Amino acid sequence: MIPPGIFEAAGLTKIFDGGSVHALRGVDFRVAEGEFVAVTGPSGCGKSTLLQILGALDHPTAGTLHYRGKPISELANPSTYRAQEVGFIFQAFHLLPTFTALENVQIPMFETRLSAAQRSARARDLLKSVGLEHRLDHFPARLSGGERQRVAIARSLANEPAVLLADEPTGNLDSENAGLIMDLIGSLHRDRGVTFVLVTHDPSVARHASRTIAMKDGRIVT
Amino acid sequence: MTFLMIVLRGLMRRPVRTGLTLGGISIGIAAVVALVGISRGFEKSWATGMKVRGTDIVVNNMGGSLTPTPFDAAARDRIAHLPHVEATCNLLVELMGVEDASMMLVSAREWGGYEWGNLKLLSGRMPRDAAEPVVVLGQGAAEILKKKVGDPIQIDTRELSVVGIVDGGALVENGSVILSLPLLQEITGNQGKINVIDIRATPATTEAETKELCEKIDALVPEAKAMLAGGHIGNSQAYRFVQAMSWGTSLLAVLVGILGVMNTMLMTVFERTHEICVLLALGWKRGRIVRMVLWESALLGLLGGIVGVLLGVVGVKILETTPAIRGLLEADLSPELLVTSVGIAVLVGLISGLYPAWRSSRLTPAAALQS
Repeated sequence: MIPPGIFEAAGLTKIFDGGSVHALRGVDFRVAEGEFVAVTGPSGCGKSTLLQILGALDHPTAGTLHYRGKPISELANPSTYRAQEVGFIFQAFHLLPTFTALENVQIPMFETRLSAAQRSARARDLLKSVGLEHRLDHFPARLSGGERQRVAIARSLANEPAVLLADEPTGNLDSENAGLIMDLIGSLHRDRGVTFVLVTHDPSVARHASRTIAMKDGRIVT
Repeated sequence: MTFLMIVLRGLMRRPVRTGLTLGGISIGIAAVVALVGISRGFEKSWATGMKVRGTDIVVNNMGGSLTPTPFDAAARDRIAHLPHVEATCNLLVELMGVEDASMMLVSAREWGGYEWGNLKLLSGRMPRDAAEPVVVLGQGAAEILKKKVGDPIQIDTRELSVVGIVDGGALVENGSVILSLPLLQEITGNQGKINVIDIRATPATTEAETKELCEKIDALVPEAKAMLAGGHIGNSQAYRFVQAMSWGTSLLAVLVGILGVMNTMLMTVFERTHEICVLLALGWKRGRIVRMVLWESALLGLLGGIVGVLLGVVGVKILETTPAIRGLLEADLSPELLVTSVGIAVLVGLISGLYPAWRSSRLTPAAALQS
């Protein structure tokens, strides 16, 4: 018997602009717990839209998506799901410019019951785990691109999520830093057993995943 | 890092804009403190003046002017015999330009009336009789007019002499030029007229009996109104007008403050749309975003309120020592007024933040991933 997937999607459809843009056209897929899946395809194929729906940042026009057997559309509060179940890694890092690295990592923890001291301690540990213990008090403007993405990765782990969703995590990095970030993501997946769904158009990045889903024109092609 | 630190960091993103907004609220709150404080101080100083004189009831017709309308001095004879009336004193009180001072309180008292007895002589002497062409000056009035015993003093067309400087025990008394009733009646062309009857009730008179006495006086003296001393100034239409103007000006200033904070908070929300979307994407609930915006605006209000209260207090103190006003103005800057003013400022901040907070709560997190 096949164990239930962490994500199970059936007929996912997303239509924008009153029907003129079909970002997803009936997508079916399944992601198993602990799996590392890369979603690849050219720009505009719908992979980022798919990631947004997985992260409850957007909702499908039609079709169903289950998280651990429960429909995401029936979540009482999508914020709680985003805060506790998933972590995001963005191409543009999206760190808050007026907060230090240490403070940026603490931001998601405000939706937990951790005290200020516990938040700070956990953020330190996370930044240490991504090799940034010497950059705790640096603002994003004073960090390199690779360092910013490492802070963002530490932030994505703030609430110990079961799933990490990464949208072109190396898209803004040079090849050396991109390699370092993918090594970090690979070790996080191995060491923490986190389920990874990574969106990329770069085949060299997708090679780090255990499975690749290729998309084209809003459909899964392989 | 605490939630308050996040709020403070939001305010410090644009220190100049935050500072200017604070300045706007502060001026509004300073206006509230100064205008309401002065208005209340005016009422309080009159009440103190009445208490010092030992007056329990004031009979006058305040009408719409700053000083009461004159009526026949014989009105007193109709009420002097009433039960609980211990003493009466006819007065003619005018606000007049005296020499360089554009507006002075000139208080003429019936010769031998009980109110002369409350004046404590600091230098010189009291008038010898009702006809002697002299005045005594409250110590504040002497300072304003730069007069000492023996100096001449011009009141309207009449030149009189200053024979004494007195301590009246209250700001109103100390700011007055005091003379006998017939002199001022003659100077102002109000022969046989007065505009105030002060009444001292017998010592054991209860408040209910005093109110009952007022009703009896009203029936016997229809040309004027009897009021409990202290409250009478609050019943003056002119005073009410001034008070309404004070509150109106304060309200306008506060409205300007509200618009200022709202503008700042809206700008903040617009500028931070992307950041707010990131916060939502990271799992922050909409309620927390709303709280963040409201806390920022309330904190702006609180800081503006504190600075405004300080500005208001300092401004009033400077006004009180200004030569043209010294001795005439004593603001009532009670702790209650100061705390209320800060409370108004916080409320202004919260009200101003409501719309920006609502706007921020309408944002969708998907936008964060699109750039």
